[in-house]
Amino acid sequence: MLRIVVCVKQVPDVAEIRIDEVKHTLIRTGVPSILNPFDEFAVEEAVKIRDAVGGEITVVTMGPMQAKDALYKCLAMGADRAVLLCDAKFAGADTWATSKTLAMTIQKIGYDLVICGMKAVDGETCQVGPEIAEILGIPHVSYVKRVEVKGDGKSLLAERSTEEGHQLINCSIPCLLTASKALNIPRVPTVINQMMAKKKPIETFTAETIGAEKDQVGLAGSRTQVVKVFTPNLRSGGGKIMNADDLQGSVTELLELFKKEGIKR
Amino acid sequence: MSDNSSGVWVVGEQRGSQLATVTLELLTVGRSIADNLKEELSVLLIGPESGDTIRILEDYSPDNIILITGEETQHYLTEIHSDSIASLVEKNRPSVILFPATYDGRDTAARLAARLQVGLAADCTEVRVDETGRFVQVRPAFGGNLMATINQPITRPQLATLRPHIVKPVKPTKKISPRIQRVTAVPASSGYQKTVLKTVREVADESGNLDEAEVVIGVGRGLGGKDKLTMVNQLARLMDAAVGGSRGVVDAGWLPHNQQIGLTGRVISPKLYLALGVSGAVQHLVGVRTAKEIVAVNTDPEAPIFKVATFGIVGDMFKVVPLLIKELETKSPIESTVQAK
Repeated sequence: MLRIVVCVKQVPDVAEIRIDEVKHTLIRTGVPSILNPFDEFAVEEAVKIRDAVGGEITVVTMGPMQAKDALYKCLAMGADRAVLLCDAKFAGADTWATSKTLAMTIQKIGYDLVICGMKAVDGETCQVGPEIAEILGIPHVSYVKRVEVKGDGKSLLAERSTEEGHQLINCSIPCLLTASKALNIPRVPTVINQMMAKKKPIETFTAETIGAEKDQVGLAGSRTQVVKVFTPNLRSGGGKIMNADDLQGSVTELLELFKKEGIKR
Repeated sequence: MSDNSSGVWVVGEQRGSQLATVTLELLTVGRSIADNLKEELSVLLIGPESGDTIRILEDYSPDNIILITGEETQHYLTEIHSDSIASLVEKNRPSVILFPATYDGRDTAARLAARLQVGLAADCTEVRVDETGRFVQVRPAFGGNLMATINQPITRPQLATLRPHIVKPVKPTKKISPRIQRVTAVPASSGYQKTVLKTVREVADESGNLDEAEVVIGVGRGLGGKDKLTMVNQLARLMDAAVGGSRGVVDAGWLPHNQQIGLTGRVISPKLYLALGVSGAVQHLVGVRTAKEIVAVNTDPEAPIFKVATFGIVGDMFKVVPLLIKELETKSPIESTVQAK
């Protein structure tokens, strides 16, 4: 029986975030929280693998109590068990502290295969998966677009995106995978499954549960420090917009722009 | 931990037997950081050694060139890369290591950071030494809505991945003859089995490399169908551009997933982004926010893409693109003299 652990994150729906143009801060009120889209690919693949070779899926997230909503969605998609890592000590964690916390949790739960989304759409680091794998001392394959777990559950074949194409990798289990968008099309849970999911228990772990010292997790365990946060010089756009009347003229002007930018030819 | 660390390292990347441009960009940034910190600059390259690599690297005046070779470096394999660099770090104690924010660069950097139990600032758009002599990193978050300045106060080395294109490669005027060191890659752990069965390069297709291209052409639903890509690809060839598309285009199956530009696809920073028939959903705009110039062609004057465009044409892409192709073809170097008359 394959023990699959999927790490997920609840994120603000980044597409809905607006900037307060006066205060130069993020307007987060009214921005819905969602399950990180890349984690949906991870959960979907876990369900497929379990249904094919047998096993149990545990989803894990670190966050405040309301992060339970993300876990309910995973349960509705087919996960068996859900763990919420919720403790004031976990607050302010950077990628190292997050990875350490998740790795300690995965160790405690017991695992064969760990799957993460390739990145979270809020932080966008692509780091947590590989860092967890290194801490657990297992190999990983990132940016996975296709995976096939061998029937004996002892190894898998994974196709991984690279800068210029892809790699086909054979890897022993235990290992960790990070899911890319090309991996699958996540199922949309039915209303009944959503209702059933809400009735399932969610286990809550604290720093004590996973045996973490205060200085290993959260802000205290972090290696990076945010010195300053600021809004970027937003693209004002405000460029010249030509209408369709004189296409040849527009194109000529566009070619001037290419020339100015040193675009080839 | 922070005591006697010294040296700025950049980890280069190759495409086949060619140095990736991002390696030269990293060397340019690295030179400036090293000079400001008054430390040496080293470049690490992992993989089979090829012809003029050393000569090209020498032009960028690193103090050291470290080549990590061996049978196991034939294919990119994360654990071999991170273990090999880790063993050099333990011996030489650098203070800063810069990686490209590419698939492999991010992959190795994260694994190495965890191994060394140090921090890593991902996808930086700027790194510098501040007035107090600290190495600081600037990176976008929340889909580029926010920028954060990051510092790694305690642990060394300080790791960062840098987005391609944040600087132009510049050869320093002061020439240094670098010391060249060759080391063998650390063998794979016996604790597990991981083998690359094959590495497939797909650059031959029309898509180009979205992360590294200076010019990216993005197509939207306005394209109308997969067959219309022929025209777009022709323009892309003339402009030396990579081709990507909106979520709608990818969902329609006109382009593969790895060519999706936007929040759930690729975040790109080209010099010029040419959006053809792209309406400009927020999640798409977030993915091109850091492009220097955004040129939009769309029949709908109300399309949101025009709000961020530095140049826009309200018009039919099927009229604009052929005109562009015609102009660019006549302007090709061979015929330019005729054209000038």
